[in-house]
Amino acid sequence: MRFDRRYIFLAIAVAVAVPMLFPIGLPVAVTDETRQVYDRIENLAPGDVVMFSFDHEASSLPEVRPLAEAVLTHCFRRGVKVIGLALFAEGAAVGYDILKDVGEREDKTYGEDYLYLGYRPQYSAAILGMGESIAEVFPADYDQTPYEELPLGQRVKSYADIELVVSVADGSLPTYWVEYAQARYGQRIVAALTAVMVTAYNPYLEAGQLDGILGGLKGAAEYEKLLGQPAAGTRGMDAQSLAHLTIAILIILGNIIAFARWRRGKSGKEGDA
Amino acid sequence: MRTRLPVIICGVFGVFMAAQYFITAEPVTAMYRAVLDWMQIIFVCALLVGILNVILRQLKSAARPGPDRVYAGIALFGIALMVVLGFGWGIGRGSAFLWVFNNVQAPMQTTVFSLLAFYVASAAYRGFRARHFESALLIAAALIILLGRVPIGEMISSHVPAVVSWVLNVPAVAAKRAILIGIGLGMTATAIKVIAGLERAYLGSRTR
Amino acid sequence: MSLTGGVKRLTAIIGAVALAAMPKTAFAADWFAVERTPELVAVIICTIVVLIAVLTARNRKFYVRPLPGLEAIDDALGRSTEMGAPVMYITGWGGDLARPTTMASLAILSSVAEKSAAFGTPILFPSHDPVIVSAAQDTIREGYTSAGRPDLYRADDITFVTQSQLGYAAAVDGMMARRKPGAVFLLGTFEGEALILAETAHSVGAVQIGGTDSTIQLSFFLVACDYTLIGEELFAASGYISGDPLILGAVRGQDILKIIIVATLVIGVVLGLFGNDLISGWLN
Repeated sequence: MRFDRRYIFLAIAVAVAVPMLFPIGLPVAVTDETRQVYDRIENLAPGDVVMFSFDHEASSLPEVRPLAEAVLTHCFRRGVKVIGLALFAEGAAVGYDILKDVGEREDKTYGEDYLYLGYRPQYSAAILGMGESIAEVFPADYDQTPYEELPLGQRVKSYADIELVVSVADGSLPTYWVEYAQARYGQRIVAALTAVMVTAYNPYLEAGQLDGILGGLKGAAEYEKLLGQPAAGTRGMDAQSLAHLTIAILIILGNIIAFARWRRGKSGKEGDA
Repeated sequence: MRTRLPVIICGVFGVFMAAQYFITAEPVTAMYRAVLDWMQIIFVCALLVGILNVILRQLKSAARPGPDRVYAGIALFGIALMVVLGFGWGIGRGSAFLWVFNNVQAPMQTTVFSLLAFYVASAAYRGFRARHFESALLIAAALIILLGRVPIGEMISSHVPAVVSWVLNVPAVAAKRAILIGIGLGMTATAIKVIAGLERAYLGSRTR
Repeated sequence: MSLTGGVKRLTAIIGAVALAAMPKTAFAADWFAVERTPELVAVIICTIVVLIAVLTARNRKFYVRPLPGLEAIDDALGRSTEMGAPVMYITGWGGDLARPTTMASLAILSSVAEKSAAFGTPILFPSHDPVIVSAAQDTIREGYTSAGRPDLYRADDITFVTQSQLGYAAAVDGMMARRKPGAVFLLGTFEGEALILAETAHSVGAVQIGGTDSTIQLSFFLVACDYTLIGEELFAASGYISGDPLILGAVRGQDILKIIIVATLVIGVVLGLFGNDLISGWLN
């Protein structure tokens, strides 16, 4: 018997869609990794500056937006200033939207409490360049106001004035942040990642090259729990749980079918003999 | 001369980029900043060439009868629309450009991204077979991680998340580090070969 | 990672060994980053070992462990030819031309282009990076010319698609669905698009040969592709295919460096067990 893979696709679609329509409300426990990131932000002093780099494409928005919103909300509530930027062209509009939304919701003033620099191509050059001078890499913000005319731009010249970089990513950009900003300028970095990328960055966390990793919808749900504000991450947990369970069942099912086929082949041979 | 000059340029800049990492003298740092600026300028020029290449190719496809014609037409329309909206009315908040980006491009890309959920399931079903002890071990680890990374794991046992953490942070990291050391060595050797001019495939030339 | 990035990542490990031995004051000039002395020493060690291994490699024969993924290249090309289908070569969305992985992939492309031209089978090369496209056009044209088939070359087959990751994946999937390649090479730096491309290649019945430096995508290739080059095998591949003693010499250099690293780690562990943190202290 050979499985038509469309049945597999259908099973996954049902596993994701049903809990979206009829939430189960599975409990979320906070892991040490998420608490580490939360504590890192919690220990910042009001007035410290955090750089948010939206290093992702529009495609991963449903997974990374809850992560970015949770950490941004925490930063603003702690009185931390935020500078946003994008190292992927598509992240530019997305990052602007997220930063503005959370900034307005938390009643923050653009230019003083946060600002958005937009996109620069050639991420390795941009990351290295900001270690020397942010204004040289981003002469103006996303709305074309000269960087050094903005109150926050006047006091933040380079990584030396930035306490932490949060790379919101769906790919390898945090590696570039580690290799260029951390290794060369000693910049501290936290990675907020899609779930699939988390294991790739565990060695960096173990080696102390990252200050923390926040991973996937689960990370967002845990962070929302710490903030006491359930949002998109918490809502997505039911769907993700059932999807994982479905894949686990499919793996077991595939092996049972393979084993049955192997047994049938073996008994067939014995019968022939 | 066709390959010699690029090889010399590559060698000189390769050595410079490695050396500047260790040298903090201002003239070297200034030169390094200039190199970073030029990297961006060259990339943007190459991007323009790439965009022209896409437009020309789509124009050719649109002119040729066949199934590609429709796709080429849509691609050209999309390019023209975004250029007109962007240059005509800006790209800021509330602009038509951003509206199209958020409501057309982003959902389309998210749709392609969501294919991963289906493909992961299909590849896992096909690829995870307990053919021997090692692969059975791999499947056991996969099942524990799959369930342990979501609330279901905690519901099965309060120890599951701890086991998941251990698997991810100890054996998985050990294996990854071993692979990363191999990759790092490969990259090092390739970088040295390129700087020394021994590897020239990127210039369309064979090694020497 | 830039050209020097690979050197830096790896050599930080070796270089730390030399830290304690360095008379820091001797380097404490304001033009030199003293704290990077161990990395400098490591860069020098790596460069010397690799260059000596390469330069002493002329006229030598090396044994290279058989790599099934590379031995399957001829079969994959032959199958494409029988089907009258093209071959598709993808270097991944995650790398640029400054990345050694992309350069290693182009070195393999050079051999694949020559072999496919000998079979009379064209190569499709869609890319997300216009600089890589330009390099690939030269590489493929040269490969076709070396095989005596410059007529096979069509610039339209080697093309920039888009910089958008999933836009790129969708475009390449569309190309696969319409052109139905007989073999798909996925060699380079891949990210989230890896599994989408590999599964689509599987669905059109193509032989997939994958290889990447991305450990996370490697796991997807292992379950989805017919053959997978793991990590460093990708960097050894061009020497393996071409049999060029200089490239194989570099592979030997990698092995020597690996022995040095493993020896350092073993000594560090043994010393650590006896309460001596000489090496672990350096590494920290």
